[in-house]
Amino acid sequence: MALKINYVARETGSNLWRNISLTVASMLTVAVSLSLFGGAQIIYHGIGNATARWKGGIEFIVFMNPTANDDQLASVRKALESSPEVRKVEFVDKTAAYEEFRTLFARQPELLDAVDQNAMPPSFKVAPASSDADVISALGKQFENDPGVREVVFAFETVRTMQRFSQYVRWGILGVSVVLMVAALMLILNTIRMAMFARRREIEVMKLVGATNWFIRVPFMLEGLIQGVLGAFVAMGTTWVLKRVFDTWLSNNQDLRIFQGFAISSGQLVSTWVLLLFFGCLVGTLGSGLAVSRYLDV
Amino acid sequence: MIRLENVSKVYKGEVHALRNASVDIQKGEFVFLVGASGSGKSTFIRLLNKEEEPTDGRIYVAGKDIAQLNSWKVPYLRRNIGCVFQDFKLLPNKTVFENVAFALEVIGRPGHVVKSQVPAILELVGLSKKIENFPDELSGGEQQRVSIARAFVNRPLILLADEPTGNLDPATSVGIMRLLDRINRTGTTVVMATHDRGIVDTMRRRVIELDRGNIIRDQSRGVYE
Repeated sequence: MALKINYVARETGSNLWRNISLTVASMLTVAVSLSLFGGAQIIYHGIGNATARWKGGIEFIVFMNPTANDDQLASVRKALESSPEVRKVEFVDKTAAYEEFRTLFARQPELLDAVDQNAMPPSFKVAPASSDADVISALGKQFENDPGVREVVFAFETVRTMQRFSQYVRWGILGVSVVLMVAALMLILNTIRMAMFARRREIEVMKLVGATNWFIRVPFMLEGLIQGVLGAFVAMGTTWVLKRVFDTWLSNNQDLRIFQGFAISSGQLVSTWVLLLFFGCLVGTLGSGLAVSRYLDV
Repeated sequence: MIRLENVSKVYKGEVHALRNASVDIQKGEFVFLVGASGSGKSTFIRLLNKEEEPTDGRIYVAGKDIAQLNSWKVPYLRRNIGCVFQDFKLLPNKTVFENVAFALEVIGRPGHVVKSQVPAILELVGLSKKIENFPDELSGGEQQRVSIARAFVNRPLILLADEPTGNLDPATSVGIMRLLDRINRTGTTVVMATHDRGIVDTMRRRVIELDRGNIIRDQSRGVYE
């Protein structure tokens, strides 16, 4: 049976309007929970960006001079690879270093213009076998005076703290947003139930004259979907504002220039949006779907 | 058109609303169901449009065993059955036109069909002048006419009426019965549960009498008792 579009649109619209306060309540609950979830995603991406170069147990980086010759590179590499205290070595050549530089300093075009690929130092990212700070420090310092080596950079204790801290924050926010999401689900469930209760005579007549279950169901499910999507839109706006605030704060504060790596890329923002939209639709449709099958008794 | 084979309906394991009932109703028949309150008349009617499931036995409507019917096919069964009730079941926030049109819209009839069918059926029930009125602006008899129009607008094979004159005075009831008779003459099978002795005795149609769930009489051209 064909569902007529204008019928569905009219029914859905009047349902939403008739229960405007509940509609707004469900929408806002979805919005708040998704905003928290989106915020957690943004923070997660930010921390991830900032600590990207320290992933995978990398504790220090041996930066070579840009002018270091192949012999010097080979000897440092050999020393690192043959050392029993080194678990893993990753060589970053000039091209890769330039790529990383471009990502990290994407927000400072003047810096990007000033530096070309040849000026980039090649480097060795080292993951030591030991996790003892003194051992790592001693190991790293061995290479400081090798020919061709510019400097050895250790992972700051602050980076470590940040990574740990970010995990706690992330799980905390995720927990709260899950709870709120469930609340949103129940609110939508309740909204639809109220709408159905208000229209129980109509539904009774519809069933008696032979309306199919889907014909009765679809406007209600669409109503939930709209509530979910509207909530997701609000959350998308929130994450966008959050990103803007973050960016402005980072680029205005000279002391924080080192943290430019926090900057969230547009791609990461869009992927967060896709997630938000997906969860908005899911919560809305699921909530109304549950309410309909539970209260329609068709 | 309608056949019940040894149908029983038991509510909550103890209330026997219908016991081992077997009835055969031909196409185009007009049948009165009579009996005291609680004798099983309403259950009989509710079984026919699958508002209730029989505890035992088989029910055939328009040649189909409706106990075997998938639940998603029930709406299509109901499109062949019009229903009229004692309390009309009109939607108070819709006009007379909209109440009748609703029955066509929810089964997906196109707009031009709605626009031509609804005024025609309202003329048949004699309500052409009240087309834009709301149900609470109509008398009981007029409201029942609207509900009959709604039940019949889809030209169903069967019309079920559960005490359609129960809330109406005798003069108004006669008008409603004339209308149902007219619908019956178009070939629609009518099954009507009633307490109204005068109507049954005047019409002289087939009478099925129920007593505590048992069919105790099935008489063509019968009277109330």
